[in-house]
Amino acid sequence: MNEINGRQLGAMLLISDVYFLFCLKGSISPAALTGFLAASALQLLFALGTAARGGASVRPRIFFLGYSVFLGGLVFSSLWSVGGMIYIPCENGCGIWGRLMTAALIAAVCIYISHEGIKPAARASVIAAAAGALCLAADLAGSVSGGDWKHITELEGRGMLSETVRGFALSGGTGSFAVLLGSAKGDRAGITAGYFAAKAAVSSAVLLTAMAVAGRIAEITERPVITAMQLSQPFEAQRIDSLFLVMFVVFAVFTAALYMITATRLMKELFPRFEKYRSAAAAVLMTAAALVISGRELLLLRAVLAVSALLLPLTGIKRSAAGNSG
Amino acid sequence: MEKGELLPVLDSSIEMIRRISGSSSDVLINRFVSGGVHCALLCCEGMVSASVITELIFEPVTDIPRQSSAEELYRYINEELLLSTDRPQVEDYDTLFRLMNSGFAVLLADGMDFGLAFGVQGYASRGVQEPLGEGNIMGAHEGFTETVRTNMSQIRRRLKSPELVMEMLRKGEKSHTDLCLCYMKDRVPEALMDRIRRSLDGIELEAILTTGYIRPFLEKRSFEIFDSAGTTERPDVLCSKLIEGRAALLVDGVPYAIIVPRLFCESFQTLDDYAYKPYYAAFIRWLKYAAFLAAVLLPSFYVAIVMYHPELLNSTLFMLLADAEKRAPLSILTEALFALLMYEMIREAGVRLPKPAGGAVGIISGLIIGDAAVNSGLISTPLLTMTALSVLSGLVLPELAPQLTVLRLAFLIAGGAMGLFGISLLACGVLVNICATEDYGFPYTAPFSPFRKRGMGDTAVRSDIRKLQSRGFTVEEYHE
Repeated sequence: MNEINGRQLGAMLLISDVYFLFCLKGSISPAALTGFLAASALQLLFALGTAARGGASVRPRIFFLGYSVFLGGLVFSSLWSVGGMIYIPCENGCGIWGRLMTAALIAAVCIYISHEGIKPAARASVIAAAAGALCLAADLAGSVSGGDWKHITELEGRGMLSETVRGFALSGGTGSFAVLLGSAKGDRAGITAGYFAAKAAVSSAVLLTAMAVAGRIAEITERPVITAMQLSQPFEAQRIDSLFLVMFVVFAVFTAALYMITATRLMKELFPRFEKYRSAAAAVLMTAAALVISGRELLLLRAVLAVSALLLPLTGIKRSAAGNSG
Repeated sequence: MEKGELLPVLDSSIEMIRRISGSSSDVLINRFVSGGVHCALLCCEGMVSASVITELIFEPVTDIPRQSSAEELYRYINEELLLSTDRPQVEDYDTLFRLMNSGFAVLLADGMDFGLAFGVQGYASRGVQEPLGEGNIMGAHEGFTETVRTNMSQIRRRLKSPELVMEMLRKGEKSHTDLCLCYMKDRVPEALMDRIRRSLDGIELEAILTTGYIRPFLEKRSFEIFDSAGTTERPDVLCSKLIEGRAALLVDGVPYAIIVPRLFCESFQTLDDYAYKPYYAAFIRWLKYAAFLAAVLLPSFYVAIVMYHPELLNSTLFMLLADAEKRAPLSILTEALFALLMYEMIREAGVRLPKPAGGAVGIISGLIIGDAAVNSGLISTPLLTMTALSVLSGLVLPELAPQLTVLRLAFLIAGGAMGLFGISLLACGVLVNICATEDYGFPYTAPFSPFRKRGMGDTAVRSDIRKLQSRGFTVEEYHE
């Protein structure tokens, strides 16, 4: 069942990671960067175990389904929260109905993507990720020329443990990684190592850009990465915010679509008789989850869930090994 | 409809032919006696060459010495005379009418329950001319014609390899249209050919009058924005595709060939690319990619930014646009829709009208209506400029015209209704639709996604011909 390749899986997961990084709240500092890298290194260790397992066993599937719905809800919720910053016309000024309409439009596109299946979504993710990389490179170029790198040393961060927890919490792809790794062709350990290395590199690039551009503003702004992207203007005569706005929404859609695909896949395995409207059911559950989350960041819960997503398949390995020896 | 086997009595047989054809006036029945046997030569008026039929059939047949029986007469014709190189035997009325309507003359003899057919086609057809839709500067100036045999010869002239296979098929319950499936048997996997043949077997149509009748049977998905089966009217382009391991289908009566599989990147390639220096060819390719994006997105980005995101404009541009738009009486979205729809109407009028009138429509619309609309303040100059640039960019890729037209309008509405958010959402849907397009296991977006590094040499850039030739590319490399 090798439907996608490692590069495509990596692109899908990286998009979700970068999306959550864009939505990051609170200050950023070198300590945050170190925490993110430490979290990535630890995740890599756990994930290599998951890679050896090849996918989730039956029992954690319910957990992964719930986790996917929760993360999908987080996508909608964070999109509602940043609606003012990225200016979504139908959301601003229309209250709850505007928010629901935004969610409905994104859900409609996600349902279509989910209906088409994982292969087209994975192929499209590679193109979206490449376009995102170009956008990020333009912002990075802007920060190199216009940013002040001494800001980085001036920024004060939280403690290392706290930043590592935040690093775990903002890992959007661990659940889908565990579920979809079985669908990827190629050396799974290589795919895992490649994904986490790319994740570390992209996270570093985004955070360094944000720190260099936003500087001390990062301490007082609600969403430092989005602020930094808006402030970073590599071209004197032309703003590139429009490019970032497009990329942000595209990343949001592909992130939500990733969770919807993961959720529908798990629904198919868990409830094989429930054939129709799986994607629509996932979309409704995600919207409901978003209403419950209601803009909260829930860092600790997310960190625990992210770690669990990588550890649960490992317990499956141990159990099956024990069963085999018994 | 099954019409049965030929009757041995000539009078009855002719009566049957008249009954089946409804005594159609173009069915010519010439009765004569040859070798002492009563015969009839049947043909369809306008489908045969009068001079060929006289020289090659009537003169030799009427000079045949007296024969003892009809069997002897047929034996004499078959063994002693060389009337035509194409001489199938006719045993039933279905075959008789099919051959007669394809330009064969059919000889029936009294007492025989089969006839002899002679290929003496001589119908009027258009000669080989320069293709109108696929301009080419440095390459050949020959295009396909409406006659499938002529088109086959054009391909064979360019590819003299015995590996080139041309399989004739006949489809269309009423039209009995000749189709020719072409492929290089050393380049195309047999499994792919089997799948294509199975797709063609599924064709159940009354008539095939254009390639559009067949393409849905070759394209697997029900809703594809872009065509996964391509067309060309150039034999040289078709030959290059055959060498790359694709299959082609020629349709009698249509000067276009269908090519499967088709990839998105091919819309940006022309044969001229290989005539120019690689750096210039690469430049032209990137120009086309940019033109594609401009053709689809320019009006929508303009409308979205002016309506919802004016902060994205620098002050000079903002003042310029604000000044222009405040004099326009309509909303920007309405203005843009009006301009684009008017262009589409003018274009359609120019295409359908006779050529002299079509040219006049272009002049009237461009110079008079366009100028008047701007001067009267109905449409702002920047918006008209954006629309014109978008349309002009679309002309760079004529084969994508239907898709560009619809996508341009869809993105415009999305941008006008929801700004960049709407454009982004629609872009996601369109991107996934393109990525989902896949026929016979060939992803339409290859080699971009799934990424194939080897494919970049003829998509992102255009490598040296020696390098391209040496790698022996076939489209099978992209198969998933």
